[in-house]
Amino acid sequence: MSADRRPLLLMTPAMIWLFGLMVVPCALILVLAFFRRGLYGGIEYTWTLENLALVFDPLYFQIFLKSAGIAGLSAAIACVLGYAAAYAIAAMPRRHQPMLLFFAVLPFWSNYLVRTYAWIVLLNREGLIVNLARWVGYEGELPQMLYSEQAVVIGLVYNYLPFVILSCYAPLSRLNPEVNEASRDLGASAWTTFRRVTLPMTVPGIATGFVFVFVLSIGNFVTPALLGGGQFQMIGNLVYAQFLTANDWPFGAALSMVLIAVMLGLLMGQAVMADRASGGKGARDG
Amino acid sequence: MTHPFLSIRNVSKTFGSVRAVTDLSLDIAENEFFALLGASGSGKTTLLRMLAGFEDLTDGDILLEGSSIAELTPNRRPLNLMFQSYALFPHMTVTQNIAYGLEMDRLPKAETAARVSEILDVIQLGHLAKRKPDQLSGGQRQRVALARALVKRPKVLLLDEPLGALDKKLRSEMQLELKRLQHEFGITFIVVTHDQEEALVMADRIAIMKDGALLQVGTPHEIYENPGTRFAADFIGVMNFLPVSRTADGFAARDGSQMMSRGNAAPAGTPFVAAVRPERLRVGGTGDNSLTGEITALAYHGLDLLVHISTAIADAPVIARMTADEADGNAPVVGRQVTASWSAKDTHIFPE
Ligand SMILES: Nc1ncnc2c1ncn2[C@@H]1O[C@H](COP(=O)(O)OP(=O)(O)O)[C@@H](O)[C@H]1O
Ligand SMILES: [Mg+2]
Repeated sequence: MSADRRPLLLMTPAMIWLFGLMVVPCALILVLAFFRRGLYGGIEYTWTLENLALVFDPLYFQIFLKSAGIAGLSAAIACVLGYAAAYAIAAMPRRHQPMLLFFAVLPFWSNYLVRTYAWIVLLNREGLIVNLARWVGYEGELPQMLYSEQAVVIGLVYNYLPFVILSCYAPLSRLNPEVNEASRDLGASAWTTFRRVTLPMTVPGIATGFVFVFVLSIGNFVTPALLGGGQFQMIGNLVYAQFLTANDWPFGAALSMVLIAVMLGLLMGQAVMADRASGGKGARDG
Repeated sequence: MTHPFLSIRNVSKTFGSVRAVTDLSLDIAENEFFALLGASGSGKTTLLRMLAGFEDLTDGDILLEGSSIAELTPNRRPLNLMFQSYALFPHMTVTQNIAYGLEMDRLPKAETAARVSEILDVIQLGHLAKRKPDQLSGGQRQRVALARALVKRPKVLLLDEPLGALDKKLRSEMQLELKRLQHEFGITFIVVTHDQEEALVMADRIAIMKDGALLQVGTPHEIYENPGTRFAADFIGVMNFLPVSRTADGFAARDGSQMMSRGNAAPAGTPFVAAVRPERLRVGGTGDNSLTGEITALAYHGLDLLVHISTAIADAPVIARMTADEADGNAPVVGRQVTASWSAKDTHIFPE
């Protein structure tokens, strides 16, 4: 066996697993998008593009846009907070950094539902934050915090922040401090150095974090259900409803297909960008 | 104006318990090509970083044209540093790297472009202007780093081991190139190096650094011909050391023969060594001092031939240098007994 075949061999079990247990079932569901819905929730096996067309019906497409808006806002906030945290960690003495990273990512290891419920405890009308406001003497009207769009964004940002911290920390910790010093030496202020040297060199980490948070948020249905309180639907909730309550599997499949296409497009764009940033092979000659 | 151009006054730097630089004072003249020479860890980089503004002084002051720059941040100092790692901006092209410092000075766009293309000509990298640093060879990167610092026309250019990463042939070319650029731009250069040959070739003056302090400052000729300490004598060039003992009227070699010297004042009570350079030994000739021994090895260098002589009056073989002409007339042979002699004026005495 030649040495260059060995990686292929090592990949095979994982590939079989992924293909057999992920890709095939997904494909089986997605193909439903091209069939008609039966009279009593069954499936009528005649080809149609109606389901896909329905996704772009303003009624539903608006939910798509709304979900993208919430996912985008969450991703943007997570990137600002996560980059700042990663920057601070990377600026600490090297020996403390693994510990700080560990703490930053710690909540990630607890159950998603538990973490989301914790926000209900914090945000509800008799919750910790309201009580805290009362305790410091605030008597006025407090805005409804739980069951709102803001609550959903808070929940999504909180849940996916560790991703961004990790994805931004990686390029930040690899920076050669002398490159920053060279910028200062050539006459740049600390802020200009950040804007023209540090930030451009770490943009791939931010982009990775953004895409991950966006992709995970746009399809999320747990956080909108718990923290949004049914005030509005995100695309994930709509898919959930088609499969489990409305019994319209073909439309659910069509929604999922568009969602997956958006996600794959973003992830691929991000992969191409990361490759280019790391001086991918194609970029060398020229 | 009577004050020195650049004045380093009683500067110290400690990192925790490590004393990197200790009470160091040095004046450097305008347009001087100055070399800081020392072994690794002797504090050369720390001194440069203090000049550039990247390390606070633990003690002392630095004055440029009479006023202190010690409190200025690096971007406000009219000095530029060429980093040992080059520290090029990897996301910028060669042109963008070089233009960066001029943009920081808010130079008009047209002037920036003109100066960048001018310096690209000087370093002969015009054809690679659009490349990124990772598409350049080590030697090309080195020249970009040099151009990036030089294009700002600083009052002082600090270079930390600028040729350290280059191969031998390129290094000797660049030594002359640096000297030419320094002359052409009329800028004070302070070059750090651990290569004594490089320092001798390039510098107007050399400071030998050891353990964070200056051992000796002088022209290459002074440092080479008149080393102040045994360490300096050993560090610069090749030197033969012969143990000697003090006698009533001078010094004597191990075999009791008189060792004539240039009369260095030597304190009593300590053991001494006599030191003489290989090129001052004449194989087969006569002089104030001489030794005999067996030729153990010959090292041919093209220009010259180094003859290793094993002798009773020294532990290590004594090395004598013969020019090609000398060797042609009187070819030495390994295993043969020879006599070598030298003058008193070429004999230095140091405490052991
Ligand atoms: N940032 C630092 N922290 C602690 N010790 C340092 C630091 N920088 C340099 N040193 C120490 O100071 C001494 C001089 O180092 P350096 O100036 O880099 O020497 P050179 O450039 O001559 O090799 C060394 O012992 C080194 O370990
Ligand atoms: Mg150094």
